[in-house]
Amino acid sequence: MKSKKAGRIVFEVFMVILSLLFLYPLFLTIINSLKSFSEVMTDVIALPKSLAFENYSYVWKYINYPRLFLNNTVITVLGLAGIILISSIAAYKLARTKTKLSNLIYFLCIMPMLIPFQSIMLSVLQMAKSFHLSDSTWGLGILYWGFGAPLAMFIYHGFVKGIPNEIDESATIDGASGFRLFFRVIFPLLKSVTTTIIIIDVMWIWNDFLLPLLMVNGSPTTKTLTLAAYTFVGQYTSDWQYAMTAMVMAVLPSIIVFMFLQKHIVKGVVAGAVKG
Amino acid sequence: MFKLGRKWSERLEFGAFTLPVLISIIAVFYYPFMMTIRYSLTKWNGISKNPKFIGLDNFKEIFSGDANFMNASWFTIKYAILYIVLVNVLAILLALVLDMKMKSTTWLRAAFFIPYILSLVIVGFIWKFIFMQGFESLGASTGWGIFKLSWLGEPNLAFISILLVSIWQSVGFYLVIYIAGLQSVPEDMKEAAKVDGAGPVRRFFSITLPLLAPSITISVFMALTNSIKVFDVILSLTGGGPGGTTYSVAYDIYRDTFQNNLYGYGTAKALILFVAVLVITVIQLTIFKRREVEA
Repeated sequence: MKSKKAGRIVFEVFMVILSLLFLYPLFLTIINSLKSFSEVMTDVIALPKSLAFENYSYVWKYINYPRLFLNNTVITVLGLAGIILISSIAAYKLARTKTKLSNLIYFLCIMPMLIPFQSIMLSVLQMAKSFHLSDSTWGLGILYWGFGAPLAMFIYHGFVKGIPNEIDESATIDGASGFRLFFRVIFPLLKSVTTTIIIIDVMWIWNDFLLPLLMVNGSPTTKTLTLAAYTFVGQYTSDWQYAMTAMVMAVLPSIIVFMFLQKHIVKGVVAGAVKG
Repeated sequence: MFKLGRKWSERLEFGAFTLPVLISIIAVFYYPFMMTIRYSLTKWNGISKNPKFIGLDNFKEIFSGDANFMNASWFTIKYAILYIVLVNVLAILLALVLDMKMKSTTWLRAAFFIPYILSLVIVGFIWKFIFMQGFESLGASTGWGIFKLSWLGEPNLAFISILLVSIWQSVGFYLVIYIAGLQSVPEDMKEAAKVDGAGPVRRFFSITLPLLAPSITISVFMALTNSIKVFDVILSLTGGGPGGTTYSVAYDIYRDTFQNNLYGYGTAKALILFVAVLVITVIQLTIFKRREVEA
């Protein structure tokens, strides 16, 4: 019995070492973002001799970090708010209305999950240009409404079907109807799935690359964090210490949020995958 | 329809609730999709005002021997198959380990999940740095030959690098799906098998694996849809190189459309990708349905 326990401990130590090796590339990224150019060039794996925080102040100013952060926030919040709002009310109405038209609309709404973005990217760009939605963070946020709606509709629709009709009926007797009935009575009941949708969509929109590349890459005032890091590395191919600094600054917000909301995020991702 | 016909106010409400989402979806999917079909029948460089209608010439040209497209398709198929198999096998093995009661379980799960929250483009750059600079130092300090290979400079190794980096980034996602699946396997069932004298390997194949079937279906489906569209990680890791050997279909479409300004031709390829994805998805869903009936 004792040797079995010892074996378990050895195995656990092995797993912890494995996980540290797994994260080693991120560790190397962080330590090299704090080195000088010559230090990066002579030895990547050595710890920095002194912490070169000036890399951060340089990149912070050069890419205008606060502006990028604001852009990411505007795009994500605007996109997410729209997706939640239009998908939840539509999914509720469609789940409650049992007609052929309702079924057809629902089908049309979830069908696009099968369309790969690359298949329509050029036309989306042309469409966005003609509606003046390109080259603007607001425009990009609005575009996400349509791109995020199919999955959100699918998840909401399935959930609303499980909410008994009697709740609507008793609310109607109490005099609530239409939008008021939805926002006062139904929407609070959707809280758990709304959280799931928020988690998957924030991760997606915050990190998205190709759509922002086509829509808002033209001007430094509309770029996102990922886009700026992408362009920055293109310009500084040999100045790895700056490139690594830009990487850390781009991923740090996600990692900090993950550390605080780890359980919710993992749960939300699993729920989203299982339902989607 | 009949219910709607009864009262105008009901119709109005139905419209008010569903029109916003319909307009948003039509604007970004159906309308562009129609335009895609139209563009695919034209020759257009994006600069001239009017695309020139050329019928099915683009498709004829693609199928009669577009070497880039053929190579990219072959690359994508190879990548997709290896990615789906490897990421799922690894995730199941890891899930079995992390399902055991250990003090560090919480840390281990978080550690393997972290890369999944990072943008793929950035993951590509981080690994480019590791392969180009990091391996040099690691090779110097360990003397291991594995660090001295040209991981991004030789076609076969570059392929493996892309595969490894993709798996590194996403294995945590599949891992948490499998852990959730394992937790729904009843403990007493495993105990009963243990009492009946079934060894750990036997227990895994006769009890755990069949009960994991729903998780496997979800994971394979996700791995398939993601791998067939692989783009971001290649763009930042190899940029299609060395010698254009690591272009995926999605990247090839991007190259033709936005780098070579072959709007019509690139769009025709995009349409072929759509049909391929549709066919594969329908096949997968049919198999999925059939299995559900059996279970």
